[in-house]
Amino acid sequence: MSKPSFFSRTRGWWRSHEAVLLVVLLAELVFFSSAGRRFGTADNFFDIARHSTEIGLLALVMTPIILTGGIDLSVGSLLGLCAVVFGKLWRDGGCSPGIAGVLTLGLGTLAGLLNGGLITGLRLPPLIVTLGTYSLFRGLAEALTHGADTFTDFPASFLFLGQETWTGLPAQAWVLMVAAVGFWLLVHRTTFGRAFCAIGWASEGARYAGIPVRARVTLAYGLAGFVSGLAAIIYTARLGQAKADAGTGYELFAITAVVLGGTSIFGGAGSIHGTLLGVAAIGVLSNGLVHIHQPREVAGMLTGFLLLLALAVSVLPQWLSSLAIRRRAAQGSQSSPPSTP
Amino acid sequence: MEPPLLQLNHILKSFGAVRALKGVSFSLRPGEVHALLGENGAGKSTLIKVIAGAHSPDGGEIVIGGERLSHLTPRLARHHGIACIYQQPALFPDLTVAENIALGVQQPKFHQRMRWGRQTLQARELLKRVGAKIDPNAEVRSLSMPEQQLVEIAKALGAGARILIMDEPTASLTRQEVELLLAVVRDLRTQGVGIIYISHRLEEIFAVADRVTVLRDGESVGTEPVAGMDEATLIQRMVGRQVSAIYPPSESEPGPVVLALRGVTCRASGVRDIDLDVRAGEVVGLSGLVGAGRTELARILFGITPADAGEIQLFGKAVRIQSPQAAVEHGIAYVPEDRRKHGVILDMPIAANLTMAVWPTFFPGAWLRPEAERLHALEFIRDLGIKTPGPQALGGALSGGNQQKVALGRWLAIRPRLLILDEPTQGVDVGAKAEIHRIIRRLAKEGLAVLMISSDLPEVLGMSDRIAVMREGALAGVLPGGASAHEVMRVALGQTQREAA
Amino acid sequence: MNRSFREWSVWLVLALVLGVLAVLAPAFFDPQPLLSRLTREAPTLVVACGITLVIISRQIDISVGSQFAVCGVLAGFLAAAKLPFAVVLVAAVGAGALLGAINGLLVAGLRLPSIVVTLATMVIAREALRWWRQGQFVNLPEGLQWFGMAQRTGQWTLLGFALLVLVSMAFGMKHLAAGRFVYAVGSDAEAARLVGIRPRIVTFGVFVLVGALTGLAALMNMVQSPQVDPKSGAGLELRAIAAAVVGGVAISGGRGSLWGVFGGLLLLVTINPALTYLHVAPYWEKAIQGAIILLAVVADGVRARRINE
Repeated sequence: MSKPSFFSRTRGWWRSHEAVLLVVLLAELVFFSSAGRRFGTADNFFDIARHSTEIGLLALVMTPIILTGGIDLSVGSLLGLCAVVFGKLWRDGGCSPGIAGVLTLGLGTLAGLLNGGLITGLRLPPLIVTLGTYSLFRGLAEALTHGADTFTDFPASFLFLGQETWTGLPAQAWVLMVAAVGFWLLVHRTTFGRAFCAIGWASEGARYAGIPVRARVTLAYGLAGFVSGLAAIIYTARLGQAKADAGTGYELFAITAVVLGGTSIFGGAGSIHGTLLGVAAIGVLSNGLVHIHQPREVAGMLTGFLLLLALAVSVLPQWLSSLAIRRRAAQGSQSSPPSTP
Repeated sequence: MEPPLLQLNHILKSFGAVRALKGVSFSLRPGEVHALLGENGAGKSTLIKVIAGAHSPDGGEIVIGGERLSHLTPRLARHHGIACIYQQPALFPDLTVAENIALGVQQPKFHQRMRWGRQTLQARELLKRVGAKIDPNAEVRSLSMPEQQLVEIAKALGAGARILIMDEPTASLTRQEVELLLAVVRDLRTQGVGIIYISHRLEEIFAVADRVTVLRDGESVGTEPVAGMDEATLIQRMVGRQVSAIYPPSESEPGPVVLALRGVTCRASGVRDIDLDVRAGEVVGLSGLVGAGRTELARILFGITPADAGEIQLFGKAVRIQSPQAAVEHGIAYVPEDRRKHGVILDMPIAANLTMAVWPTFFPGAWLRPEAERLHALEFIRDLGIKTPGPQALGGALSGGNQQKVALGRWLAIRPRLLILDEPTQGVDVGAKAEIHRIIRRLAKEGLAVLMISSDLPEVLGMSDRIAVMREGALAGVLPGGASAHEVMRVALGQTQREAA
Repeated sequence: MNRSFREWSVWLVLALVLGVLAVLAPAFFDPQPLLSRLTREAPTLVVACGITLVIISRQIDISVGSQFAVCGVLAGFLAAAKLPFAVVLVAAVGAGALLGAINGLLVAGLRLPSIVVTLATMVIAREALRWWRQGQFVNLPEGLQWFGMAQRTGQWTLLGFALLVLVSMAFGMKHLAAGRFVYAVGSDAEAARLVGIRPRIVTFGVFVLVGALTGLAALMNMVQSPQVDPKSGAGLELRAIAAAVVGGVAISGGRGSLWGVFGGLLLLVTINPALTYLHVAPYWEKAIQGAIILLAVVADGVRARRINE
């Protein structure tokens, strides 16, 4: 039985979760600027932005999925497949990068809809469906490249997207910013975002309220496919090459950023700005550790620990309130009146 | 006289603001069948869950086997020889009958061998004792509900239970199966087992019970030998208070027929051949026992489990309702029974809950309008008298009655033509209950057709212009508004023909 | 009959594939390469046995690949230090059990979702190992490979050992109360509580067990080569889960058997060499593995729907 005070407390707590994360991020910035000499330069921040864009995009689109109480393990593999398809269309298919890009985005969307369709149509658990497509998409990428083929020598006009600056910022940072604003509006300012949260809190309750639950869940996975395609194009432009192993493990970083950003892994509560803070915290951490001459593995380990910590903190209020209820039950007292938030 | 097997003293149990048990005392002797009677929501289920160790009481004591305890756990209850057969069998659907019985019969240690040959024999033996023709190697998933019930009884028998709780064991059994079951119960009684027997079928209680305790509103009305009772007295005790004048009088004239059902059937949910009219400005009460098919009928009308036969007419036109969205487009609103799970999303603000059913019209282009939503919420808060710190308070922060008003408000926002209410005042305090009744009356007066499902008899009697009574998935009868509690109960219990005087 | 239909169907498909191979590519059945292939997958079978229990109890563990690498490197180090084999064995199994216990504590103790917990522990263990080893192999002393026996004898020994694990696990799941507890908890944790089973202890135990089995599997992998690769075990979790799902273990818990998983694993490990023998390019392996997983879950989903209707 949930108690009124718990709910009002949760609400304040989510808000403060992002505040805590912001403090962590600032602390990282201060620490690394003082410890590493080259850390605080504009060039380095551009570097962080470039390296965080693809994971940032995947984290953005993972947020609505986790809000509905689902998960998508296939985004990293889909990135790899899309990168390979993009390279193949351009080099072997004779498409211009623009046409190839559009076709790649279409493929990504279809792949995402495949996930969504299997999950809603047959009521299969998202975890196992996307585990299957995780293997399928990566395998298709390997099959298309015979395991070794690499696509390179893209035209400079295309590489611009991943390597140059435009109006003072790395070109792909603009894409990320537009996507961030778009997703923020979608999740926080439209009935779609409302529906994601409602489904995450109580999927049956949402159905009883007349919300088209299946259509919304399918949309979330379809979007994930589209954005995975977009991330694949940017990834290819940044590295100047497309290989079957592109984006390996990115799903993990995306999920970590989302959970670190305060989105509940059980669905319902969360925010896009929290996710962005999570992406920034991870990006700055892995970059900063290099500047203080720590190996890359330390960043990976710390990310894992951060994920566990964020997860533990996210169940803390639930745990405390169940403790409180048990204590109250032991005393046999009546429930307290609702408190004002 | 022998000391009782089990003695409960002044058991208290609350769920949030709802006081389910208000100091109930109860005793069970060896070799007796003790019937527990009461209307839906009187506290029977809570009481047996306390005895089985599934709920821990807030106060009172349990005396069992010479020990005084404040509460039991499932393990402890089993240790004391308590076995419980719930309405919904608590079996493992993925395991076989024999495996289920084996896990229930002994409390094996991790390393213990499960001797399947012996256990299959034992299962077969026990199933024979309850007269069930079930293959011990069948998966429980593949069994029908009554078959699962019989497996539960076999399991309890095998556990050598000294205290056996049976919560409506016959609800879904055929006559023949009931006879067999009652024979098993009598057999157990001669072996000194104490049986707590819950059933709505009064004839069973007269056939098998020694004593009867009637619960009403979480309190015990008294325990007496069955020998000196008759059906009328029992019904009187269950219903208790007279219908008081607290219900607002009906003021509206019934208008044209809004909803007409002709032979509506849904095989999956067990509803069959419903013929019923609901007129504008009319409150039709839908009464019946738990499991009679009332909520199932509502779910058909709201498109959650669509009908597979018969015709649903709205304003004389036949319509097909295949999804909740379709129902909403036809102007049908459904305030569900389980408001915590279905009626209100507890973790979302009241304002968001109130607009949830009107998104397409209220938020053109899917664009949220927080200020308009706030004003909308304030209007409903004022109109329905919702007590809340503000429109941004979460649904879970409200009391049951105010949550119910939010659930109601959500549906009034679509300007429905038919409003289906499922247990609108269950678990709601007296003040909010009266307010909800006034709101229902007002809506009817404004021309809304209302179909109100309720297990609260006085509420049905006090609020309804007509009373439709369901029994076993079918419509058992439609009574006029002035019908008495006795009449409704008799139709609901299926005893119309057997009435003597 | 109905219950084991799913397991039978896996073995039937396997028999079909083998039948096609017998006609089209009889070279597939040459004893020595076949024995080597099966031996290479013996550790996977041991891990799949553990994963099966985890899935039956309605959890998931994707950290077994990392656990496998950590245990392997650790065992390699101890073996290189010329410690007796018994010590190495205990250390590998113990380290696995410890890693499993961490997962178990987080999942059963703090009630965190197992998918995210094991995702995190997977990364932590993998990165820690990479930090420590920097990708360097551990050289093993001579005489350790194949337990100092001839290769053939060693292979048969390992294979026999893996089958012994399978048989004893299958026995435990069928005939020990503990096995039924795992099914019961995965089928309905609340009903399990009502018959006096403690679901959280069962869950914890299952995670410890899968860790211990993974440690054992790492050791079985170690004795097959003169070195330990710190990257061994990559993708192992996926192969084990795929074997379980293809073998008919329901991802929603409570259903499945180790016999089905054995068939599922054999089917998966047959595919890749079969492709080579049938002159299909081998890089389709992962895609086909994914397609088989999807096919299996879709088939289960369709079947579940039909039963409900």
